[in-house]
Amino acid sequence: MDVSKYKSLYLQETGEHISGIEAGLLAIEKTPGDSFALDNLFRHYHSIKGMSASMGYNPIMQLAHAQEDLLDKLRSGKLGVTSAMTSLLLKCLDAMKALVERVRADEPLDTDSSSLIEALKSCASGKEPLAPEPSAAPSAPVEGGHKLRLSSVMKVEGSVFDGLLASVGDLFMALSSFKALTHGTRSVEFKNGVHQIGKTINSLHESIISARMLPLEDLTAGLPRLVRDLANETGKNVALHTEGMDISLDRSILEGLGGPLVHIIRNAVDHGIEPTAERVQSGKPLPASIRIKASTRKDRVVIEISDDGRGMNRQKLKARAISSGIPAAKIEAMPDREVLKLVCLPGLSTAETVTSTSGRGVGMDVVKDAVEGFGGSLEIESTEYRGTKIILELPRTSSITKALLVETGGELFLVPISRIEKVIEVPSNELDAGTYAFAGAEIPLVELAASLGIKTGPRFSRTLIVLDASGTLSGTEGKTLAGLVVDDFGDEIDAYVKPLLPPMSRLRSAAGITVLGDGRPVFLLDIPQIILKALERA
Amino acid sequence: MPKKVLIADDTEFFRVALKDILTGGGYEVVGEATNGAEAVEMASSLKPDLVILDVVMPGKNGLEAAREISALKLPIKIVMCTSLGYEPIVEEAIRSGASGYIIKPLSETKVLNTLNSII
Repeated sequence: MDVSKYKSLYLQETGEHISGIEAGLLAIEKTPGDSFALDNLFRHYHSIKGMSASMGYNPIMQLAHAQEDLLDKLRSGKLGVTSAMTSLLLKCLDAMKALVERVRADEPLDTDSSSLIEALKSCASGKEPLAPEPSAAPSAPVEGGHKLRLSSVMKVEGSVFDGLLASVGDLFMALSSFKALTHGTRSVEFKNGVHQIGKTINSLHESIISARMLPLEDLTAGLPRLVRDLANETGKNVALHTEGMDISLDRSILEGLGGPLVHIIRNAVDHGIEPTAERVQSGKPLPASIRIKASTRKDRVVIEISDDGRGMNRQKLKARAISSGIPAAKIEAMPDREVLKLVCLPGLSTAETVTSTSGRGVGMDVVKDAVEGFGGSLEIESTEYRGTKIILELPRTSSITKALLVETGGELFLVPISRIEKVIEVPSNELDAGTYAFAGAEIPLVELAASLGIKTGPRFSRTLIVLDASGTLSGTEGKTLAGLVVDDFGDEIDAYVKPLLPPMSRLRSAAGITVLGDGRPVFLLDIPQIILKALERA
Repeated sequence: MPKKVLIADDTEFFRVALKDILTGGGYEVVGEATNGAEAVEMASSLKPDLVILDVVMPGKNGLEAAREISALKLPIKIVMCTSLGYEPIVEEAIRSGASGYIIKPLSETKVLNTLNSII
C-alpha cells in the first residue's frame, strides 16, 4: 500500500495528539488520579502508535507503544502516577516530537530511543524510574507555541498571509501612481474609479491584517511546561498564572515575542524566585507565583510579567554598573527607573550564580533589543522582598510604520518615529563641531547627506533629529543618543513599508521602501546602520 | 450493487486510509463514525451491510458498540479493527457478535481478504 499520500494527514493528526499529550501530562501531574485525563492520554499514544505502524515509522511506533503500555497500567490503577514518571513521559514526548519533525523533513528516523523505551518498560513493571538528568535548554515548548490555531475555521500556512500582505503593498504602490495621474486629468470617471480602487485596497489590507492576528495563547501555551521544567531543575516551587491571553497580535510580532518572554521567565525562576527553604523561612506563600497579564492600550498591547520573588538589588546593580565604567556620580543622579534598567546593559546582571538556564552572556540587553526591534518598549518595576515586574509595550500590527519625512539635498527620506527623541532647529554653525550638547551629554552627530554621498548647499539653520541609537553604540550610557543632521523635516506619516529585495536589500542605509501619495518612492532609513557606518568612518 | 460499509474510527488517518482501500475494492462507504455512540446510531439509521469498528475510541468503545449493534438484530456484519497487542479483546468481540477482525497496520490485501471472506 502506498502510504506516502497519507503523510500530511499523519503529521497533522500526530501534531494534535502530541498537543493533547502535553496538556494531559501536565494535568495528571497536578491531579495524579484524573481518570479522564489518563484515558485520553492512553488513546493519544494508542493512535500515534497505530498511525506510525501503518506509515512504517517503526521508531515512533515503538516509543509510542512503550508509553501506551505504561499508560494502560496507570489508567487501570495498577500503578500510581509519580512525578518521576511524568518527567520520563515528558522526556519521551520530546523525543517523539523530534522524530515527527524528522518525518516532516524527510530525514531518516535513526535516533536511538532504546534507553527511553527501557526506562518506560522498567517503569511499567513497577520500578521507580531514575530521575532524568536536567536538560540543558528546554526550548521545545517555545517552538511548539508558534503554530497557527485556526482549527475551527481552516488551517493556512502563515507564509500565505505574508505573501498576501506583500501583494497588497504592491497594490498600494500601483495606486499611488494612479493617484498622481488623477491630478492631470479632468475625467471624473477616472478619479472616481481610482477612489473606489483605493477604498477596496484599504479594506483588503484591513482584512489581511486581521487575518494575520493570532491570540497570545498560541505563544504562551508552551509556558506551563517551561515553568514546570525550570522549577524542577532549580528545585523551586513555582506556579504560572496568565490573564488576557485572548488578545491578538500580528503573527510576526508574536513570533518575535517568544524569545524575550522565555528569557524573562527564566530570569524570574532562576534569580527572582527564592529557594523554597528561604521562602518558608521568611513566611512567603508557596508555590511562588509568576503572572503574565496582557491588556490593550489603544492600538498597542501591554504585557506584564511579574514574580513575587526577592526583587532586584539596586545596590548590586549600581556597583556592577560602576565597575563596568559608568561614573559613580552619574549613577547616583539616575532616577530609580533608570537604575533598574541598568540590568539591560550588555553583560550586566546581579545574579550571583550562573545556571544552565539563564547562563552568561545573553541577558536582558538582548530582550530589550528584541522588543525595541519590533517597535516595542520595556520598563521595569521592582520592590525588594516583594518581587519584580517587567512591562512590555508592543504594537499589535507591524506593517504600518509611523515615520517622519525628512529632506536633505533635495531628497526625501523617512525616519521611524520609534527612534526619534526630539527634533530641533539649530543654527548651522553650532553643528560644525561634530558633537552637540543635549540633555547634559555631548552626543555624536551624523550628517545624513555626507553619509549617503548627497550634495547639499549651505543653509543658515539645519534640522537636528535626536535619535535613540540603542543597539548600535557599545557605549556605557543607559540610553545611547546620536544626532542626525538633515536640511528640513516635513509631515509625520503612516507608511506602508515594504522590505527591500535583492539587490536593493544590499543597501545598508535603508530598512525598507514606501511610496508617497504623489507616487514618489522613499526609503525608510535604517538608523542603527547609518549611525554605525558614520561612526566607523570617523 | 456494491456492498455498503460503515467505518468507525476516532482517527481521521485510518478513516481516510480505510475508505481508500474499500472504495478501491468495490465497496461503498456509506458513513464514517468517530466514536462508539455515533457508530451505533449510524448503523441503525444507515443499515449498512457491514461495519468496521475500531476498538479504542473515546466514550463508547468498539467493544460496547459491537454489542449494541448486534442487539439491533439487523443483518449487519461486524469486523473489529485494532492494533497489535489487542488479540484477547478481539476474541471477546467475536463472542459478542463480530464476524472477523483486522489487525493494524492496515494493508489492502488484509482488509479486502477479511471483508470478502465475510460478505
